Amino acid sequence: MDLERERGITIKSNTVTLEYTAADGETYQLNLIDTPGHVDFSHEVRRSLMSCEGALLLVDASQGVEAQTVANLYLAMEYELDLVPVINKIDLPAADIDRVSEEIDADLGLDPFEAIQCSAKNNVGVDEVLEAIVGRLPPPGGDPEAPLKALVFDAQYDKYRGVVMLVRVQDGVIRKGQSIRLMHTGADHVVEEVGYLKLEKVATGTLATGGVGYVIAGIKTIQDINIGDTMTETERPAQEPIPGYREAKPVVYSSVYPMSSEDYGDLTKALDKLKLNDAALTFTKVSSAALGFGFRCGFLGLLHLDIVQERLEREFGMSLLLSAPTVQYDVTLTNGEPLEVDNPSFFPDAGDVECVEEPYIKASIMIPEKFLGAVMELCREQRGEKTQFDYLAVGRVEVTSEMPLAEVLFDFYDRLKTVTRGYGSFDYEALDYRKTDIVKVDIMVNKERVDALSQLVHRDKARARALHYCDKLSETIPKHQFKIPIQGTIGGTIIARKTINAFRKDVTAKCYGGDITRKRKLLDKQKKGKQKMKMVGSVEIPQEAFIAVLKTEKEK
Amino acid sequence: MSPAAAAGLYLHIPFCSAVCPYCDFAVLPTAAASSRRYVRALIGELAMLAEEELAFDTIYFGGGTPSALAAADLDAVLEAARGRLAIEEDAWLAMEVNPEDVSPAALDGWRELGVSMLSLGVQSFQEEELRFLGRRHSPAEGERAVREALKAGFDVVSADLIFGLPGQEPGRLLDSIRKLVELDPQHISCYQLTVHEGTPFHHRRLQGRLLELGESRQGELYELVHTELSSAGYSAYEVSNFAKTKAGRSRHNQKYWDHTPYLGAGLAAHSFSGRRRWWNEPDFEEYCGRVEGGERPLAGSEELSDAELALEAVMLGLRRSAGLDLERLRTVYGVNLLERNAALIERYVEDGVAVADGRLRLTSRGFAVADAVVRSLDLGLD
Repeated sequence: MDLERERGITIKSNTVTLEYTAADGETYQLNLIDTPGHVDFSHEVRRSLMSCEGALLLVDASQGVEAQTVANLYLAMEYELDLVPVINKIDLPAADIDRVSEEIDADLGLDPFEAIQCSAKNNVGVDEVLEAIVGRLPPPGGDPEAPLKALVFDAQYDKYRGVVMLVRVQDGVIRKGQSIRLMHTGADHVVEEVGYLKLEKVATGTLATGGVGYVIAGIKTIQDINIGDTMTETERPAQEPIPGYREAKPVVYSSVYPMSSEDYGDLTKALDKLKLNDAALTFTKVSSAALGFGFRCGFLGLLHLDIVQERLEREFGMSLLLSAPTVQYDVTLTNGEPLEVDNPSFFPDAGDVECVEEPYIKASIMIPEKFLGAVMELCREQRGEKTQFDYLAVGRVEVTSEMPLAEVLFDFYDRLKTVTRGYGSFDYEALDYRKTDIVKVDIMVNKERVDALSQLVHRDKARARALHYCDKLSETIPKHQFKIPIQGTIGGTIIARKTINAFRKDVTAKCYGGDITRKRKLLDKQKKGKQKMKMVGSVEIPQEAFIAVLKTEKEK
Repeated sequence: MSPAAAAGLYLHIPFCSAVCPYCDFAVLPTAAASSRRYVRALIGELAMLAEEELAFDTIYFGGGTPSALAAADLDAVLEAARGRLAIEEDAWLAMEVNPEDVSPAALDGWRELGVSMLSLGVQSFQEEELRFLGRRHSPAEGERAVREALKAGFDVVSADLIFGLPGQEPGRLLDSIRKLVELDPQHISCYQLTVHEGTPFHHRRLQGRLLELGESRQGELYELVHTELSSAGYSAYEVSNFAKTKAGRSRHNQKYWDHTPYLGAGLAAHSFSGRRRWWNEPDFEEYCGRVEGGERPLAGSEELSDAELALEAVMLGLRRSAGLDLERLRTVYGVNLLERNAALIERYVEDGVAVADGRLRLTSRGFAVADAVVRSLDLGLD
């Protein structure tokens, strides 16, 4: 993906098989999987790690150890993988190998002398890495005679062949023509093609025990399989699937609308296509009085949301408006019924709510020591509980805090970046659901509710958030011929207010002979420009307003 | 069938003794040779006109400064027009004049020409404001010009004021208005200073050397103009035009606002047939050259669609105290404005911006935001 190259991140796992003749003269087959590192994709990291015997832990020579490095190290340790630390990108001008070595020692508890220094770009240290894979990581085990047991750790979509499953064979063998069964879905398929992924697919007819490769079995859509499922033989099924199967569930929700309502059909098609490649993305139809038809989408996290938005815009040429991201709340109604709410529109009336729970995470923030005070304060403001810190090394601290995921969604990243001047790194893991005091804040423009701007917010933060929205809207909605009150309300009670004053003067002074044509053309143009506005009652809200409310102040 | 005498004739005289820094009309500095050439060309253009279906009952000498030409030249132009076009014997004639050109002899000449309305470019009674505007007369000359014009017995004497100058204090504007009201002309035009592209003021603004008044401040001055003139007995029959009586209104200018046909002759002059609009060459050399070559000096034209005419009707109608004829808009263009904009118009009426009584009229508060009101209305024509 271009997006991966541009941002220098991995979004989807990839795999390659290569033959390597080592220093000992033997030729080895190496099966390599590249995984994302970001927390949004930790389910992919997990599945990839489950398929492996060992891992290379890459540390950027200029960035050093980040919170996500630590998180992924722990994951690898959970699966008891052997590790080889690699300091990559040593060619960068900002590379600081001494500092990074110290961090590998202090932050990761790994022996920095075992770390290989490497620049893949300049082909420095690559042989050492390959030798380490051969020498320091164990070869795959498994029983070639046992019933087939292979982990489907990822899948791609090919518009001609359908679903291409990426698998790691634990026991047994996959053969072309064989009938296989996916143990969680229970569906049987016939293997049409099987082979290794080199730079391209290389069909081999079989994939042996320990092998990593691809299987095409006439499956039409990604929805028909579960990533993490276990593939076995129909004739001789394995007793147990490979443990550790977890479905990737969305944790962040946002409504996605096309900028102009006639593009709704295109958005539908684009999402359908994206979904073929991105099983974690969910969407259902919604409609807003102000923004028309759109989709309520579920994402794995903010990065995932960001990527989906960018792919829709770049690959499908869509122009989009997104509502504020929100988490899923577990509501218990006064009649005892449970209700899951991920869309403010469906939040029940306060009178019907017995209690609400919201998802908590354990945040891990790694920072230079001098930012400790600022970050502790930030955690407190984000409703962090049990905020603690540990010295990783002299001058380096890890702060952990249990905080609501919702707090991370609004402006946490921006503020962390600001208070640590870009030196802080952040990662989290999901904890549990906890009781909370959530209110629904509605935004009224000229006394009409703008449904797309309603949000679920903790009561303590409702006023500040409502004010922020009122401020941003009053800055971006142009003056009208009448005063426009902008109000934030909870259940009809006004908690924040701003007013956009009416025009006092907007009229052309002279309108004689030749002025008339000029004036009409200008009006015509202005009227066309108006069509890009969203109408709420008689107020024209420009698209920028919907975007501006999601942006936070750079300085607080 | 003889044509109804209703059309207006506009005659453009582009010369000025010096060009004002805010002016974006087709003007050039007066020079004897070019004046002679222009008068010949204008007469030549008039001789080429063939507007048999129109009869005219108003004539307007605009500019530039028509008073920069001798009355004899203006008379020759009028003769040429009368020779070619069906102009009523007692057609209403208006003329723009600069205060410094007003003298007893000049006034006699214009009276003889048959001028009904003399429009004086007074602009301000503040010395420094006049200098800022690049005017060449003093406050005293402005005052004298109005007095003498009134004494000379024209049907209507009008004076122009410009307001909304950078940094203008309400007190200074009030002072000019009061002085003018005291002189008691029949008609007053009050224009907000507009910085047009291509003018020296525009250039200065781009360089940051001219700071326009903020919108709210302009609104304040606008209100001041309207309340002050209204209490002095001048009613705003258009956004920028005030008269004490109906007879004191500019008969010619009102034609621009109700789609009455008009014919323009001279540099950059515009014409309108009721459906088509066309305009003359704005370049002096080109204009004269083409007429001298026996060719009409047209520069462009447009055929207006019903949608465009309807938009103009709304835009022009809402600038006038007479308001917009909703019934006509519905029958001629199929636009039911009230129905399409019920909530919005109700709001305007509630807010004291508009009055809806069969016609849609803007109040004086509504006039101040007339452009915004027009933009907000849905005509359903796109």
